[in-house]
Amino acid sequence: MIATRHLSKRVDTAAGPLDILTDINLEMQLGETVAIAGVSGSGKSTLLGLLAGLDLPSAGEVFLSGNRLNDLDEDGRAGVRAELVGFVFQSFQLLPGLTALENVMLPLELAGQRHAQDAAAQLLGRVGLAGRLQHYPKQLSGGEQQRVAIARAFVTEPAILFADEPTGNLDNVTGERVIDLLFRLNQDKGTTLVLVTHDEHLAGRCERLIRLEAGRVVSDVREAHPA
Amino acid sequence: MIRWGLSMRLLARNWRSGEQRILAIALVIAVAASTAIGFFTDRLGRGLVNQSADFLGADLVLLSPRPVENAWLGKARAAGLQAIETLEFASVVVGGEELLLSSVKAVQDGFPLRGRLRIAPAPFAADVDTDTLPGPGEAWVAPRLLTNLGLQVGDSVEVGAHALKITAVITFEPGQARDPFGMSPRLLMRMADVPATGVVQPGSRLSYQYLFAGRETDVAGFRKWLEPRLGPSHELVDVKGGRQAVGSALERAQRYLGLAVLAAIILAGVAVAMAARRYSERHFDMSAILRCLGASQRDLLGLYLPQLLVIGLLASAVGSLLGWLAQFGLVYLLADLLPAAPSVTTAWPVLAGFATGLITLAGFALPPVLRLKSVPPLRVLRRDLLPLPSRAWLVYGAALCAILAVMWRYTDNWALTLSVLVGAVALVALLSLVALLLLLLSRRLHTRVGVAWRFGLNNLWRRRGSSVSQILAFGLTLMAMAVVALVRTDLMTTWQRQLPADAPNHFAINILPEQVAAFRTFMEEAGVTTAQLYPMVRGRLVEINGAAVRKAVTKEARSDNVLNRELNLTWTTALQADNHILKGRWWQPDDSGKALVSVEAKLAERLGIQVGDELRFAIGEQRFTAAVASIRSVEWESFRPNFYMVFPPHVIDRFPATYITSFYLQKADKSLLRELVARYPAVTVLELDRMIEQVGRIFRQVALAVEYVLVFTLLAGFAVLFAALQASQDDRLYEGALLRALGGSRRQLRAGHLAEFTALGALAGLVAALGTECLSWVLYTQVLHLEHSFQWLLWVITPAAGALLIGVAGYAGTRAVLERSPMLLLRNQ
Ligand SMILES: Nc1ncnc2c1ncn2[C@@H]1O[C@H](COP(=O)(O)OP(=O)(O)OP(=O)(O)O)[C@@H](O)[C@H]1O
Ligand SMILES: [Mg+2]
Repeated sequence: MIATRHLSKRVDTAAGPLDILTDINLEMQLGETVAIAGVSGSGKSTLLGLLAGLDLPSAGEVFLSGNRLNDLDEDGRAGVRAELVGFVFQSFQLLPGLTALENVMLPLELAGQRHAQDAAAQLLGRVGLAGRLQHYPKQLSGGEQQRVAIARAFVTEPAILFADEPTGNLDNVTGERVIDLLFRLNQDKGTTLVLVTHDEHLAGRCERLIRLEAGRVVSDVREAHPA
Repeated sequence: MIRWGLSMRLLARNWRSGEQRILAIALVIAVAASTAIGFFTDRLGRGLVNQSADFLGADLVLLSPRPVENAWLGKARAAGLQAIETLEFASVVVGGEELLLSSVKAVQDGFPLRGRLRIAPAPFAADVDTDTLPGPGEAWVAPRLLTNLGLQVGDSVEVGAHALKITAVITFEPGQARDPFGMSPRLLMRMADVPATGVVQPGSRLSYQYLFAGRETDVAGFRKWLEPRLGPSHELVDVKGGRQAVGSALERAQRYLGLAVLAAIILAGVAVAMAARRYSERHFDMSAILRCLGASQRDLLGLYLPQLLVIGLLASAVGSLLGWLAQFGLVYLLADLLPAAPSVTTAWPVLAGFATGLITLAGFALPPVLRLKSVPPLRVLRRDLLPLPSRAWLVYGAALCAILAVMWRYTDNWALTLSVLVGAVALVALLSLVALLLLLLSRRLHTRVGVAWRFGLNNLWRRRGSSVSQILAFGLTLMAMAVVALVRTDLMTTWQRQLPADAPNHFAINILPEQVAAFRTFMEEAGVTTAQLYPMVRGRLVEINGAAVRKAVTKEARSDNVLNRELNLTWTTALQADNHILKGRWWQPDDSGKALVSVEAKLAERLGIQVGDELRFAIGEQRFTAAVASIRSVEWESFRPNFYMVFPPHVIDRFPATYITSFYLQKADKSLLRELVARYPAVTVLELDRMIEQVGRIFRQVALAVEYVLVFTLLAGFAVLFAALQASQDDRLYEGALLRALGGSRRQLRAGHLAEFTALGALAGLVAALGTECLSWVLYTQVLHLEHSFQWLLWVITPAAGALLIGVAGYAGTRAVLERSPMLLLRNQ
């Protein structure tokens, strides 16, 4: 489903070139739940950006469901994302001008689908926000906003879901509920989940845990019995 | 792919956020200004043209020494025009024992085609408009003719072999000859009576005048047809050429109106650009999210461009409506002054308004909005990532194209438009450089000022890129306002100088030298101030530098009227107030008695006369030579006695002279004239009050239009300043919130902002002053033909106004937000 070969990211800074990621080789299967963990600055977000085709590597290759991202231009990669990928971010990234319902409809509308409203409303019901369809992000709590974001991520039934610190802005209890929701939907839809976090507990709920240190993969373990 | 639904929903949702509103308001201003002024100038222009046509007696006049082919009149009538023939000739008329050279005009039914004759039952009696003409065998005459011949209404006068009965006195005649001095008194008769007089013989000097009137387009069409068929002896006179004073006032006013609209549109353009930039910056995040969700660049354009288009269309519609209302209100208020303006207005200004709105939008808003499509999706993870900056050539190129398109509409002249544009680009480049220099200078200053100022100036310097563009934007805005205000003041002064309320409206000529003192006393006792009494000697110019004048001048100049008739020569010590020496020098005290002459500039140019040339004059039988000492400009439009040739004292005073003067007389005091003519029968009084009144009315209307447009442009300017300020506030606000979070007090921050904006305004004012000097110089010398002088006051007023306006507005804008908690601000970001 997702594969990288000799993936590296190097940027030029004032102090000279800086290697953020070095020689990453990974493969993730359909339906797998993968946590990428590491201390702050270890390169987790950078890796996620490369996997999702938001950025291009300085060396190496990324494949998403058979598409070699290196070969595609920005719009090409956007097309792949539209088809395959959903996102959940630490800072929710909802559009403040749109209601919860409209935010969830957005990816469907971009894909030109007809019954966007029904699908979106249904999914919002599943994340427990049936009564808040017409509310704007500002009128929702952080946890509720993140649930809207999760509904938006799943509404297109993507094959892959990327989540960057999805609980980073939430308190423990709320974070736990959001994560439960994420995993439940993931199981229902059979999505590949790639979750970036420095929260060990959260990382532990995934089937597989990849640790990054200073831009290198230092361990990659599959747990027999994920939570 | 265009998604109207989503796009419109976003538009509606974001409406509250402000920048779209500012963009729309700026557009509304541009469109309203353009349509209001379009409608208004359309109406005013037609009103003025009609009045001027009343003046000319027609929309178009063809002068010819011979009758023209009948087919020409036929063609005119076929084109839907009215066309009539009139004939003018000079003839000695006889009344009783007396003879008098008179200027006879023979007319047909329908005369005049525009305007109306005014007649009175006796000289200097109350006059009325009339639609009739003298009947067969009748004549209407100028009051002078009666007084000079000692006749009364009811008497008969002989023109050639035919006796006509005088039935009225003419007080105003549309299309009266342009030079009231050279003219002998008018006698108006029927064309049908002309053969009986027997004065029209082969070889007589005749002037046929063909009058045409009709719809503007028909007249223009006929004119186009006619022009190539004209011979060298034909002359076409239209409404603009009909009266110099009115013509030039009209032309200047129209150019001014065009200029003011242009300024308003460019001002609005600046605001649109700034609002669009803010709009764009505020949509970076949204674009990044959408990209992340898989939207292609085209999808983004499909979302943003429809929003822009709808804003453009709505704003244009609202603007057109406002513009229409604005002109409507004005025309309603000024109904008295716009009597002749027909109420039908074209839809053209509305179309032009939409075009202006969309062009302004495309030129100023498109480049920043296009930038949105290149927002990197990675921005969702790394907030500091920005899209590539719009390319400078695209931003300025698009704006220039928009300005070019709008300007072309108002100038209708590519060469002019292009040269103005090149000038403008050079000016903007110069001004940006100056802005940077000023910023550098203020940087120097910053160690010597208080803490608030240091904070303010530091801020400006730190963001010098955007500071320069802000100084430039505010500077250009202030400049546009200053130029429009400056030009207005100078136009007004020029017009007032040309036609003050007490402008002389009567001339007295043929005052005999021995009567001068008595005449002066008479007028003084009657409480009427007269201008200086100038001696007037009739003479001809016969040689230039020893060569006969007809050979000395170019072929075109040979037919010049001045060569064919006697000139009025005078002498004086003091230069007339409205004359200016262009070349050479005016008389020194010891020039008295020297054979020198000062020549009027336009005549000198036509005849190729230079300072130092020897001119030979013939006065009666005698001839004498004088050297040209100076070339002098004359305001012929001032209605004061003016002369082509002026000598120093004691050169031509040996020749018989009569005196001329002008004076202002109110309508109520007209009876004085009767007394005057009774006491000095030889004196001739020319009444120009009707004509001057009419010119005055036209001037007042034009002045009104100018004032109105000024208000519009200034309003646009203010609105733009505020809009632009708002647009530039985001950075400052964020930073301010941060500083407050770090413990800065509100007071410190406010003082700092005040200092920053005040400095920004003052610098912009300086830039504006420089720009105004450059721009007004070009406008005055090249476009409006006004005198230009250095405006030192400008260098004080614009920086002060800039500091005040921008200081206060900026302060007010930031203040409101500083009242909010810094937390809120940070959360919002
Ligand atoms: N374009 C860039 N230029 C310079 N440095 C960069 C760039 N992109 C990333 N970095 C640096 O690379 C390192 C890894 O960044 P990244 O955001 O991937 O870390 P992270 O593991 O997600 O950290 P956190 O847990 O704090 O989010 C950081 O030190 C960051 O400053
Ligand atoms: Mg990160």
